Amino acid sequence: MDIGAFGVYICLFSALYFEVFLLISYLEKKPSDKTAALPVRYPTVAVLVPCFNEEKTLEHTVNSLLALEYPKDTLEVVIIDDGSKDATRAIGERMAAKHRQVRFFHKENGGKYTAMNFGIGATQAELIGCLDADSFVAPDALLEVVKRFEADKSTMAITPAMKVYRPRTLLELMQSVEYTFGIFYKKMFDNLAALNVLPGPFSIYKREVFTTIGLFKHAHNTEDMEIAFRMHAYGLKIANAHNAFVYTTVPTTPWALIKQRTRWSQGFLQNSQDYSYMYFNRRFGNFGMLVLPFALLAFLGGIYTALYTLYRTGSYVWSKLSEMFATRIPPHLPTTHLSWVYINTNMMLFVIIAVLSGTALAIILGKRIAKTSIGIKALFAYFALFGFIAPVWLMRAAWGTVRSQESRWR
Amino acid sequence: MNWQRYILAFGITAAIFVTAFYIASKLDNERIAAIRATEDSISIDILSSETQFELLGNLDCNTIAQNPVLSDELNSLASQLSVAEANLGDNNPEVVQLKKQYSLLEIKDYILLQNITEKCKTKPVYVLYFYTNSGSCNTNCGNVADILTYLRGEYPGLRVYSFDYDLDLSALKTLISLHNINGATLPALIINNRPPVYGPQTLQSMQALIPELATLATSTQATSTSGY
Repeated sequence: MDIGAFGVYICLFSALYFEVFLLISYLEKKPSDKTAALPVRYPTVAVLVPCFNEEKTLEHTVNSLLALEYPKDTLEVVIIDDGSKDATRAIGERMAAKHRQVRFFHKENGGKYTAMNFGIGATQAELIGCLDADSFVAPDALLEVVKRFEADKSTMAITPAMKVYRPRTLLELMQSVEYTFGIFYKKMFDNLAALNVLPGPFSIYKREVFTTIGLFKHAHNTEDMEIAFRMHAYGLKIANAHNAFVYTTVPTTPWALIKQRTRWSQGFLQNSQDYSYMYFNRRFGNFGMLVLPFALLAFLGGIYTALYTLYRTGSYVWSKLSEMFATRIPPHLPTTHLSWVYINTNMMLFVIIAVLSGTALAIILGKRIAKTSIGIKALFAYFALFGFIAPVWLMRAAWGTVRSQESRWR
Repeated sequence: MNWQRYILAFGITAAIFVTAFYIASKLDNERIAAIRATEDSISIDILSSETQFELLGNLDCNTIAQNPVLSDELNSLASQLSVAEANLGDNNPEVVQLKKQYSLLEIKDYILLQNITEKCKTKPVYVLYFYTNSGSCNTNCGNVADILTYLRGEYPGLRVYSFDYDLDLSALKTLISLHNINGATLPALIINNRPPVYGPQTLQSMQALIPELATLATSTQATSTSGY
């Protein structure tokens, strides 16, 4: 076996180990179904909507918050316009004038985390949430979150289950599959008390979080990831409300997707540098021993496998071209044989099948938890596209980290 | 933290890897068995042809000409062997054994062809191709093999017998010494019993070396695949 293939086997073993670990966790504690039960108490809630040039989606986002099944006198929506150049300000002011629950603030542009911190300072609510202005909530999402807080008083922050809003193109469908197994992953990370990010769309915090660990930081443009790391550092519990659904719009062009994911991936690497003491540190439980190391391994393994595949494919194409040039044989289709005897059935083939089966199982379980449907076209989009696009943002993120260059929001 | 979960996950992952290894090995064994079965079948066919040849004595060449051509089966066997070689390696004892048996079958088929040619005055077109897997001729040997495979596809009547020069087989060594093949300058080609030709070839140079190809039907013409 060549050394390159050995490296691929290590990557495959790691990927399979991680999948098996999560499946064991699933069997130990399966996600509960949604119930009609209501919270015992309705704490006051403020949902912050930081926005920068969101004229197209802001109104829809705020309307989805106003439609939440929650007592109106205990829910406020705080729009913080972070120096938009478009009609965001006008829309925000109009909505604040129209709805008593809505408050609007305009500030100089300073980045999302400054808008969030501004909003936190502007409210006295017991629970403070965030909703990116490109996302929309299901009407019962907040009830589910509050019920989850009631179920475990030690929980300090909650993440929702995120779905892609009306996926249509192949790229959006690919992301919808990714978000679906993300729902499974998040629930399993909850089981393991190892959630690694509190995403912008509708993560809800108890006010004490900010008084205990401080406000949001710039954190390499991934403040939602950094605050999760910081909460682990302080021993504050993060949970997942898998029945609280949030719909988010996703990048519609490959380049926009690559830029978004480069920011996320580079943020992960740079936050990992800042919190490197958590890696393989038993004090941080499964977060330090499993989730962080395997996330890094997945990052490095993704790059390695992509480069190895590129090298092997390139070598093959080069040898075929050289052969055509040397032999002057005209291009022709190779002879095909129908029997399995001619198929190369080595061990790697079966390990890859096992890893892909684990991924497929995670998608099925995520689909079951999210009560969503995924068609053949979406599965095709995921398995055909993801392997080609993901290595690009992984390599960009690695390069950006090596050069210590901050990623960009847009 | 639950360490048992870590250990259990490791155990299951290792078990999946062992299962993958087992399935791959099992299929390799099945492939070897399939190749062996094909070789046995070809062996019986050659023995049958030889017996028929001896029985008929005063040979009825029409009957012989109607016999199935074995080179097709030998060629498919060669493809199966190359997959087994890629999976298990050149030096795998099972692969080496199968290659020896394959080479013997080729030599027997070649001898039968010579006998029939002599008695029936036919004009077959055949190539004995000697290669080596050792470093000296990697690219050149691969290229010549590809040209021959391509020509076989174009001219189904062309008979190609390929031999690993380094195979430890006395019958093969005899064939090599009969044709004075020099192992230092492989690949070597014996075309219709003419003196050996060495070195790299292009499709065009190979076609020039085998002018008899013009007498063979191409795969796009009406299929009369008898090589005799």
